[in-house]
Amino acid sequence: MKFRHLPAVIVLFATAFAAALTHAGDKTPVTVPGFTFVKSAGGISEYVFDKNGLQVLLLPDHSSPTLTYMVTYRVGSRNEVTGTTGATHLLEHLMFKGSPNFNRGKGNNIDQLLERVGANYNATTWLDRTNYYANLGSDHLEQYLAVEADRMRNLWLRDSDRKPEMTVVRNEFEIGENNPVSALEKEIFAGAYIAHPYHHSTIGWRSDIENVPIEKLKAFYDTFYWPDNATATVIGDFDPEKALGLIAKYYGDYPRAPQPVPQVYTEEPEQTGPRRVTVKRAGQLGVVGVGYKIPSARDPDQPALQILGSILTSGKNSRLYKSLTDNNLTTNVSADTGFFHDASLQIFYANLAPDATHEQVEKILLAEIEKVKKDGVTDDEVRAATGQILADFAYARDGSFAIASTLNEYIAAGDWTLYTTINDALKKVTAADVKRVAEKYLVENKSTTGWFIPKVPDAARTQAESR
Amino acid sequence: MKKHFALLFLLLTVAGVNAQIAANIVRTKTAGVDLVAYKTGVKDVITFRGSLPAGDSFAPKDNVAIPTLVGEMLDQGTQKHDKFAIAAELDNIGAKISFSVDGVNVNFAGKCLTKDLPVVISLLAEQLREPAFSAAEFNKVKKQLEGDYTRALDSTDFQAKQAFSEMIYPAGHPNYTPPVQEFLAAVKTATVDQLKKFHAEYYGPAQANLVVVGDFDPKALQTAVEKSFAGWSGGKWRPNFAKATPADSPEAKNVFLADKPNVTVILGQATGLKYTDPDALALRVGTAILGNGFTGRLMANVRDKQGLTYGIGAAVANDTFTDGDWFIRANFSPALLEKGMISTKRELDSWYQDGVTTGELDRTKSKLVGTFKVGMATTDGMAGAISSAINRGYDLDWLDKYPDLINSLTLDQVNAAIKTHIQPANLTVIKAGTVETQPNEP
Repeated sequence: MKFRHLPAVIVLFATAFAAALTHAGDKTPVTVPGFTFVKSAGGISEYVFDKNGLQVLLLPDHSSPTLTYMVTYRVGSRNEVTGTTGATHLLEHLMFKGSPNFNRGKGNNIDQLLERVGANYNATTWLDRTNYYANLGSDHLEQYLAVEADRMRNLWLRDSDRKPEMTVVRNEFEIGENNPVSALEKEIFAGAYIAHPYHHSTIGWRSDIENVPIEKLKAFYDTFYWPDNATATVIGDFDPEKALGLIAKYYGDYPRAPQPVPQVYTEEPEQTGPRRVTVKRAGQLGVVGVGYKIPSARDPDQPALQILGSILTSGKNSRLYKSLTDNNLTTNVSADTGFFHDASLQIFYANLAPDATHEQVEKILLAEIEKVKKDGVTDDEVRAATGQILADFAYARDGSFAIASTLNEYIAAGDWTLYTTINDALKKVTAADVKRVAEKYLVENKSTTGWFIPKVPDAARTQAESR
Repeated sequence: MKKHFALLFLLLTVAGVNAQIAANIVRTKTAGVDLVAYKTGVKDVITFRGSLPAGDSFAPKDNVAIPTLVGEMLDQGTQKHDKFAIAAELDNIGAKISFSVDGVNVNFAGKCLTKDLPVVISLLAEQLREPAFSAAEFNKVKKQLEGDYTRALDSTDFQAKQAFSEMIYPAGHPNYTPPVQEFLAAVKTATVDQLKKFHAEYYGPAQANLVVVGDFDPKALQTAVEKSFAGWSGGKWRPNFAKATPADSPEAKNVFLADKPNVTVILGQATGLKYTDPDALALRVGTAILGNGFTGRLMANVRDKQGLTYGIGAAVANDTFTDGDWFIRANFSPALLEKGMISTKRELDSWYQDGVTTGELDRTKSKLVGTFKVGMATTDGMAGAISSAINRGYDLDWLDKYPDLINSLTLDQVNAAIKTHIQPANLTVIKAGTVETQPNEP
């Protein structure tokens, strides 16, 4: 995930406890002319703005006088092709450059408006979506909503802004490249995907970042930034009727997209053999990453895969901690279980300890996976993993911004209601389910293994550090 | 040794605009612990954090690594349960407890569901009071630390911060961090007996605090703390640390790391100021105008106008318990490093020479006060603000007074604080990345 600004922690799975947040005094759903109520789940009410198809999600919670307003566009790096990789993210940066109505010269640029009221605001881009948000005092909703709506269709997109912003984004790319693990992850995805656009990372290839012309960015904006390709979410201290009224006021001038928003139709061909990638750079300690193809976030096997990842890597009682970290072969282990619109990867990472070898660690990691496939896991392991994940869900509803951040990923995955049903699905996972998904997905012929091999630093230069 | 590094550009720690905060905090001395409880509207979730003075600056003369090693051993098993049993108990209820050691304190933090609070408080007490210090686990921790720090050497951010700390603070100052190799050499020679001795001397309730925020019954919390910490004694009070002397000449250091497309730059100085010193708040507000957020001068010019960096900012930090530091931190591509440094120094010089304007001050006051309101909306934010207040030695009503303190600052006070405490001609400049090994500036 790429940010315009400083990173924040995103918890991929979210809570099903949202219902508990709804204040008893709120009428939900509400009836506001121009909006069609679609459904409610977990305290969240979905509406559609009839005029232009904007999807609206409302979750009132009056526990503090703050709220989060967020707009999620269903466009991410999966919508890019060769030559425009990174365009979604670069466009996200340019969305802060102003419009005829709101700009720095007028003193009402979005940064100026939001920083003045102490808002926590930003934008992020990932594989399937781009989101813009502000977490702020509830009395500032209209002020923010006005400028957020304005830039949906009135953005300045000028080459004079692109040029300096390109070098900003290129520096963001360079910061990522400083980290060997980040570089390895890019290579694993590039190796695992031949046809599907998950092949390239959200930041894009350096040459595309540097050379994409403003005309292509304008075309991207005019293709994807329309109300019927977006979801507006309001969470926190607000009145639902008034919020819908504001949305009608500020988005009411926009029509639907003039052309149907193009859908990604490229499917990744079936992988029929194991793949390997290697990154060799200066560094201190090696890394092994083993990725397997797993289904989309909407697949019923996702909850079991999440629990499988936790059993293998989460906490001191996880299997890979006990077999690797507790034996001083790794400094830490982790599982990155993709939760995306399309089929993704579950990657197990093992960061090598000083005296460990890649061969040794990979062999143990694979042996632990084989044990799960052969012998399964225990009910106690499933219970502990489920308990951890469910508690994390509860912690992820600490404040409207945390809820918005997690709900955002469900919107991007293509079904926001999963946010409200995932807990029940997790509770139903059995040890047999975990064994079954391990057998089904953790298959050698569908794996991509990556090694980061550190090159010994140039001792002479290192010693030449000087004041 | 500091293992957990906070984001460098966090907004200034904030305090209260809501006049109800202090009135709704329940503060008691419970089993010797300064227990501070604040119930919020969140459902089922509890966040806690606390500390006691047993950080690296209290290390025995013969081994700088002892406080960090004691902190690392807290979650490696107790006299009653091994580490796997404790982890299983926490995992089963989805609770979290973590420990970290900085220059002054051992810090503990966690989260749990409301129903599990007594269990979690009991485990926290057990880990603080009765670590097993098993020899086998100790050997594992030593190797784990070696791996963690060796990996950190790959990070330009880590290397820059490490060098900055070494250069602006004298050894023994709570904000000084020894070179990694020196620290790892000390880890190798440390013994279990040294750990036990340090634990016996420093771990106790003398100046321990525990801040609990979220959904709980304050009485039930007190009962749980009373029961779990009953009979705990000892510990130390934080001394008045000797202040660092701001440099009277410029210094520079380049740390070479191969294959790094980005250079981390820090330029700054020791301030000689604690947060509670008279000019400290004015300097923080002035620094926010220079380098906080997208509208700060550095981001607005070096990033937005000139496109020279993804991230640049300025901050005052590490001044809660002792005098702290002031710095600008930035990222630059090696190819744009020189331009970036020139641009950064231009902004710094303008800020220092000409001062800030009334308009900037008014906007920044509004921003800082507004940030408080947003920050208090989570249990983490509230726990952080309360901890900051008590660690700085303020009464809790400081949380309610903070907006007035900010709003009462005058333009003259802010500009005078900048002139008095910042010395652009004597800054320490660190560059970490694929850079020439011989610094050519300042």
